Amino acid sequence: MTDRLDRWADPPLLVLASLADEPKHGYAITQDVAETMGVRLSAGTLYAVIARLEARGLIEPLESDDRRRPYRITMAGAEVLAQQSERMSKVASVARERLSTRLGWVGA
Amino acid sequence: MTPARAALALYPPSWRARYGDEVLAYLDDSGGGPAAVASLAWRALPAWFWPPLDRPARMRSSLATALLSWSMLAGLGLVFAQLTQLQGLAPPGHPQIQWAYAVFDVTLAASALIAGLGGLPLWLLMLRQAWREQRTRDMVYLFLPVLAPVAYLIGLIMTARMVGGASGINQGWFGVVTLAGFAAAAIAATGPGLALRRLQPRGPALRLAAGAAGVSAAVMAVAAVAIVVAVVSLNLWARQFVGYHDGTLSGIYLALVVIAATVTTVSAARGTRAALAVSP
Repeated sequence: MTDRLDRWADPPLLVLASLADEPKHGYAITQDVAETMGVRLSAGTLYAVIARLEARGLIEPLESDDRRRPYRITMAGAEVLAQQSERMSKVASVARERLSTRLGWVGA
Repeated sequence: MTPARAALALYPPSWRARYGDEVLAYLDDSGGGPAAVASLAWRALPAWFWPPLDRPARMRSSLATALLSWSMLAGLGLVFAQLTQLQGLAPPGHPQIQWAYAVFDVTLAASALIAGLGGLPLWLLMLRQAWREQRTRDMVYLFLPVLAPVAYLIGLIMTARMVGGASGINQGWFGVVTLAGFAAAAIAATGPGLALRRLQPRGPALRLAAGAAGVSAAVMAVAAVAIVVAVVSLNLWARQFVGYHDGTLSGIYLALVVIAATVTTVSAARGTRAALAVSP
């Protein structure tokens, strides 16, 4: 059940979060997302997301002599990530509060 | 063909041109595998509906189009100068004609200067790349803006000598010389456009050229307005002009000017917008 819920994670948000600290290329993004957020992005999903984020100006490619082109988050991308993080934080806060009331769960 | 390449073949060409190499590098790094290839194939269909936006490609494409239409507009402007300004057509009581001549001269020169200075770093960048990679054809393309006008001028001098000097160039010869001039301008402008497509430069030089093209096109649009003002005024108030060029020819000429100016402005604006959208 938990694995299926993981699929609800929004891949564009995961990619933005991965790029929030420093530029990364495609494979580095999937590794980072898997290690820090516990979600595996497939090749097809990753590049569909990269194309979408780039078209919306939320990330941008950097110059590279290599085939592995790094991407960085833009100012617009950072704003979107901040807004979404705030929203998710509220959801998490409400969820923790209600779970603790109902089940006595205190969270990790 | 490997399964990964077969999956990539399902994507639109623009998508493959933009992300194909990256995806293959990704699969090399991750080890690929049937699941990765299957996910790629699964995502190919939406890519046809939402093709990638490649801003450098947009800048290159806009630059190539703007350069060609700018050259045609400059050619039309030179025909205008030859048939009006240099013939001394300036009827008294209509100062807007003289003003239009002055505005045309200044804006044409300024537009050419801005385009030349803004495009020079990109031209040098492409030339260096073509030289480093021994791409002879691209070097020829890059030198066409010099070679085509020189060849045209040599042809013009030879033609003038053949017909017994500049005074021997009658209306028929003038038409030939003018068409040859447009052909030379088109060849000169197409060269860098082809080099842009083949060498695919990126970076600050491309952004500078795209930005300069926008400014140059805006200035050239003012030159086009000056042409329209002068030609309409001459048709209305200069009898000798009307006697030499009937209204139909003037109408066709003005339509060509408006088309060339519109294409130049729109293309350059699209390139400049793409350049401004890319942060340094």
